[in-house]
Amino acid sequence: MKKLVLLTVVVALFATISATGQSKLVSSKSHIKFFSTTPAENIEANNTTSVSTINTATGEIVFSVPMQGFEFEKALMQKHFNGEDFLNTQEFPKAKLTGKIINLDKVNFSADGTYDAHVEGELTIKGVTKPVHEMGTITVKGGKVDASSKFNITLADYGVTFAKGKPSTNVAKTVEVTLQAEYAAQ
Amino acid sequence: MKKRKIIKTGIIVAVAGFVIAGAVGFYMFNMPHRDVQSAKADYSLNSSEIVAEYLTDADAANSKYLAADGDSKVLEVAGTVSKISEDFNGQKVVLLKGDGDKAGVSATFTPETNANVEKLEIGQSITVKGVIRSGAAYDSDLELYENVILEKSDVVTK
Repeated sequence: MKKLVLLTVVVALFATISATGQSKLVSSKSHIKFFSTTPAENIEANNTTSVSTINTATGEIVFSVPMQGFEFEKALMQKHFNGEDFLNTQEFPKAKLTGKIINLDKVNFSADGTYDAHVEGELTIKGVTKPVHEMGTITVKGGKVDASSKFNITLADYGVTFAKGKPSTNVAKTVEVTLQAEYAAQ
Repeated sequence: MKKRKIIKTGIIVAVAGFVIAGAVGFYMFNMPHRDVQSAKADYSLNSSEIVAEYLTDADAANSKYLAADGDSKVLEVAGTVSKISEDFNGQKVVLLKGDGDKAGVSATFTPETNANVEKLEIGQSITVKGVIRSGAAYDSDLELYENVILEKSDVVTK
């Protein structure tokens, strides 16, 4: 009898663990691109160091982005980007997106397909948090989950402003962010 | 005569100034990225040590290791290979993680150094050198421990 109780407890425990484990997808393979275009020049920066999770049960989605991981073609641009006047990455080393897929009923993580996901949440850059509402795409293929999105960020919203000098003419006020992440069960 | 000399000197100085300013400007604009692998390592430590340092006091560790202009400290980190993967740019990523550690050190290689990962095996003890991009932390939104991230990495052979 004792054994049976123990067995039930173990089975129940295992079931909970595997259930919660399965609902959480983790990505350490991601690509985030910044793109700024002005008549003066196009500027691009790429980052492959982010970590992301999706909770398939609740629709919660999180991206944690190490800001010093953005690579620019020109070293000077990268120095400017990291500097105190721009993103101040020493003080704010990470940017974060926390959101929720609000049309979770339209996304089936267990069937192959391409789904439109409406994500509502908050984006924190340089310590400033703003609400966001963006569209993304979730692709499920052979058990593999991929998320992607493309949206615009107005730099001034996050206290990134360039009043004068070259950056004020060469960096767009609004930059395009392209995001892609490949997930696996935790 | 004297006045003329002053003007002449003035012009020469001005022209020289322009040339130097132009050259510096041109150099700055085209300044190459720092070559992490030929730079001297600022710190040598093992993966468990740096993870512990970050988990104890992230702010102190950030001000110690991260530079304001993004040219952060170059580290040599010793540890055990626990995972080998590849990023979206086709760069190899090697995770060094000690037994029982909550987080590890994730080192991203480059197209030039990728080949050195081919010889590595899980469980092997190695030392990698790279520039630190961010530290280890527990993220309550991710509900995960994040690794220390190094980029521009290579295997150090001693």
